[in-house]
Amino acid sequence: MFVLMIVFILFVAVMGFSIGDRKKLTWPENFSLDSTAFVQEWIYRPAGYVSGLFKDLANLHAIYKENEELRKVAAAYARDSIKYNFMDAENKRLQEKLHFTERQKQLYNYEYKIAQVIAVNNDPYSETIRINLGSKDGIKPNMVVVTDKGLVGLVNRVDPFFSSVMPITKLSETSPDTKAIAATVLGKETESFGIVDNFHTETGKLTMSRISEHDPLAKGDTIITSGLGNVFPRGVVIGTVDSSQVGDFGLTYTATITPAADFDHLTEVFVVVQMSDMGESGQ
Amino acid sequence: MSMQRIVGVMLLFFLSEGTLFYWLLPDSMVGRIVPHFTLAFVLFAALYRGRHTALILGIAFGMLQDLAFYGRIIGVHSFTMGLVGYLTGFLLERRRSTLMMALFMICVSTLVYDTIVYFVYRVFRLTDQTFEWAVSHHIVPSVFLQILFSLAIYVPARRWFENSVSKTNTEDDEE
Repeated sequence: MFVLMIVFILFVAVMGFSIGDRKKLTWPENFSLDSTAFVQEWIYRPAGYVSGLFKDLANLHAIYKENEELRKVAAAYARDSIKYNFMDAENKRLQEKLHFTERQKQLYNYEYKIAQVIAVNNDPYSETIRINLGSKDGIKPNMVVVTDKGLVGLVNRVDPFFSSVMPITKLSETSPDTKAIAATVLGKETESFGIVDNFHTETGKLTMSRISEHDPLAKGDTIITSGLGNVFPRGVVIGTVDSSQVGDFGLTYTATITPAADFDHLTEVFVVVQMSDMGESGQ
Repeated sequence: MSMQRIVGVMLLFFLSEGTLFYWLLPDSMVGRIVPHFTLAFVLFAALYRGRHTALILGIAFGMLQDLAFYGRIIGVHSFTMGLVGYLTGFLLERRRSTLMMALFMICVSTLVYDTIVYFVYRVFRLTDQTFEWAVSHHIVPSVFLQILFSLAIYVPARRWFENSVSKTNTEDDEE
């Protein structure tokens, strides 16, 4: 009985200790994380390819339509890129004139590092996605992970060769270990602001809270990260606004957001690395 | 079959849980049907070998699960799998369970396991879902998978664990 008590207390202590932010993991953790991930990598990818093949065969018709749409997007892209080049040159010239420091210039310069998903935890309370980039590749906790469609999650544990990603489906106001993401509306970046901090598992929607009364946010708007606070990069698509209603206490508004990215059966994701961050980690 | 071989087989099943099995699930069932392959082996160990083996296997494979997918917390599965394995063994290790009895016990133990896991996450405020919702969303669907899986491995698993006893019988008697 006494032994049981001690074991119980020990486990509770370990659990309590392991929650929340930890900069570095101990070597047994690193070892088991890396070694299992190494083996899992060799099972996940072939399984994904085989399954993907069947899906592609079923989707042949959809691909034809997608091709049409992509052509239109490509035409729009060509126009926009000319405009972008002019603005970029103008922006650089102004930054030089105002004597921006190197760090300030690199602040919004991001690198998208491609990572392969190697395993997914089945535990419904902690659906960790494991990816094959680690601290040796310059990955740090709280980096943002995206797919081509939008935000997937945040890196929360990093070991030398692999890291764990917590999907944004685990965002919660009450949990001790999740983050809140500052967000704004695409096209109304200066007028709109809110905080994405909760995911309703039952409805599958995100909540954006603390929106001001005079905010121009409307149904159908695309929500992106605002980058204010400089923890998360700016301009990452989170989702589209579903509805907006008066929040708690009636002082602010709360919007319901449909996430843009799919969270199931991912094969490739991108980790957004800030270039100004890379400089520090190189030393 | 020796214990080392059984551990090897369990490792293979553990590795397939987050990779191969994940790809076999359709999109809508991800997160709803949760595989507990290693738990099934731990429970077979409890029924046909002894509670101490089940305790050690449960703690070891639970810890592996906790560490290999370390995202939010370490120790939940280790603690729960060890506890459930030990309790099942404590109740039933002396009897030679029949197929129906074994399946029933595995069903009940898996429910207990999922319940404890839910409440541990709940205590640390890592989930804010209600228990009723968790039951209907993933606990009950996972039990069906667990029963099917146990049925599939019943014959080999029982033989392996019982054979592993007869070789090391003398060591076990001291406990």
